[in-house]
Amino acid sequence: MAVLEIAGVAQTFGAGEQAVQALKPTTLSVEAGELVALLGPSGSGKSTLLLAISLIQPPTAGRIAVGGRVLFDDGPTGVDARAFRRSQVGFIFQQHNLIPFLTALENVALMLQLNGVGRRESARRAREVMDYLEIGHRAASLPARMSGGEQQRVAIARALANQPALVLADEPTAALDTERGTRVMAMLRRIAREKGSAVITVTHDHRMIEGFDTVYHLEDGRLARVERRPGGDLAPTRVPPDGATR
Amino acid sequence: MELALKDIRRHVGKFLATIAGVAMLLAIVLVMNGIYQGNLQDGVWLIDSIDADLWVVERGRGGPFNESSRIPLDTYRSVAATPGVARASPLALYTAQRELGGREQQFTLVGYDVFGGAGGPTRLAEGRGLRVPHYEMVADRKLGLRLGEQVALGSDRYTVVGLTAGAVDSGGNPLVYLSLPDAQKVQFEQDKRAITAGNASNQKRLERAGVTGEAAARLLPLLAAGGSTINAVLVELAPGADGAAVAQHVRDWLYLNVYTTEEERRLMIEGRLSRMSAVLGLFRGLLVIVSIVIIALIVYVLTIEKIRSIATLKLIGAPNALIVRLIVTQALLLTLASFALAWLLREAIAPGFPRTLGFLAHETAITFAVMLAGGVLASLMAVWHALRTPAQLALGG
Repeated sequence: MAVLEIAGVAQTFGAGEQAVQALKPTTLSVEAGELVALLGPSGSGKSTLLLAISLIQPPTAGRIAVGGRVLFDDGPTGVDARAFRRSQVGFIFQQHNLIPFLTALENVALMLQLNGVGRRESARRAREVMDYLEIGHRAASLPARMSGGEQQRVAIARALANQPALVLADEPTAALDTERGTRVMAMLRRIAREKGSAVITVTHDHRMIEGFDTVYHLEDGRLARVERRPGGDLAPTRVPPDGATR
Repeated sequence: MELALKDIRRHVGKFLATIAGVAMLLAIVLVMNGIYQGNLQDGVWLIDSIDADLWVVERGRGGPFNESSRIPLDTYRSVAATPGVARASPLALYTAQRELGGREQQFTLVGYDVFGGAGGPTRLAEGRGLRVPHYEMVADRKLGLRLGEQVALGSDRYTVVGLTAGAVDSGGNPLVYLSLPDAQKVQFEQDKRAITAGNASNQKRLERAGVTGEAAARLLPLLAAGGSTINAVLVELAPGADGAAVAQHVRDWLYLNVYTTEEERRLMIEGRLSRMSAVLGLFRGLLVIVSIVIIALIVYVLTIEKIRSIATLKLIGAPNALIVRLIVTQALLLTLASFALAWLLREAIAPGFPRTLGFLAHETAITFAVMLAGGVLASLMAVWHALRTPAQLALGG
């Protein structure tokens, strides 16, 4: 079942002669439990696509549906973007972006409390996710007192706390060394497999995408090609001119 | 989860230091309130405390407080003889700066008829009032004198027989009560050289007028500066007497000015006190504005420091209400805690403050409400900035 379906999603900044099309019409879908990488050089439109999917920066055209619910159809559909993000999306950032004045546990529990879970229950569930990611022993620590890898694991725990259908990760390994980066990617694979979340990761590092199910290559704002790897074998696929991949 | 409290917990030292700084500023606002009210209270206290039915002063003058008024001592007898007057008491007022209690101090001498005249000491805190016509004094505690202490004023020494608390003139200077003759002596007494110089000058004037020899010698004492003047006569009306009629009689027949206590108060409030009150009021207003601006800037800076966290909150879907609450709660806590500390500071400062501080509960409440409203309004600037912050800021641009 497709968790995410986007069709003809495009992003243009500015207007008239100064208009810049940062993302050309793009169509793709992501299944539950699928691990997807958006790969491409800087300025290729990866983050723009991520921002569009999450409605942080809604696209100028196209259609976005998550879990069968249409969020955007050439314009807002009346869906509360923030309510959608806090209930359906888990975010993982390059710089971890933990709230510095909250402990690791509070950072994770916050996500649950935003969705109306009570204080005690949110703490219990947050602890559970942290233990799952083997970071439970740092529950009482403030972010500033944790290593980059630990912070990233707490950030992943926060993203997963609400069991989102969609996990969006923006360069999650960029601030980590190769060893830690590899571990984080392994963790994302595990999440996709065990939790059934669709995971979309933006990266420009080819070394980090081992084991990904699908890799979308973006160049100059367009989907250039897609590689699928059923069972770990990357098979290049040509992308038609309209950017449709499925 | 109360994010505001969590943030404060994380930066408790910084938050307390900020509270201390703002509290000092607010304490100045509160003390300024006290100075403002104290100025008004001091300004009319002596008038209220004497509480005469009528004040008789020099013709054409607004005395005895706002303008000098000098009338002959005997005038009070003429006033006493006016129909409708039950009692007329002479009063001398004189602001002096002399060495008292080992230091130069400014004070106001009040001379009154110790044998039943009006104008004597009130607010007596220790000792007793004056009982004998000479060499006793009642002084305010502000002067630092002790009961039984011998104090030199002019050529005589006076024994402190009573101490008042808060007996001050319109400028906040402490009062010293003396018998009328003693007060006049302190006021008009000249040293020998001044008397000699004055006599020489008068003798020359007499010679120019053709008066010489024995005749001049007889006239000289009459020309010397006399000490038998007073500044006002305090009138107590007879029961049922018409104050206006008595006042008119005094004006018509004795050629003096007459004011009721209410008129004296008005003269004081609209005259001497008005400019001072305006200045103090202006400073008070400016301080309130400055305090609100400073609170606004602090709240704004506190918000800017958290702007990336706020962007992250927006990105993960936190509603605006949560972000607004984070900022407004901190602004309120800052204002409330600062005001509470400022109030404690005010209470600590007040007893040793050199001027009378008048604290009115409703004025303190209004100041609190203004600061609270100001704090909330001030936080709106930070709220506006936070709500305009794009969620993408969390992604690094």
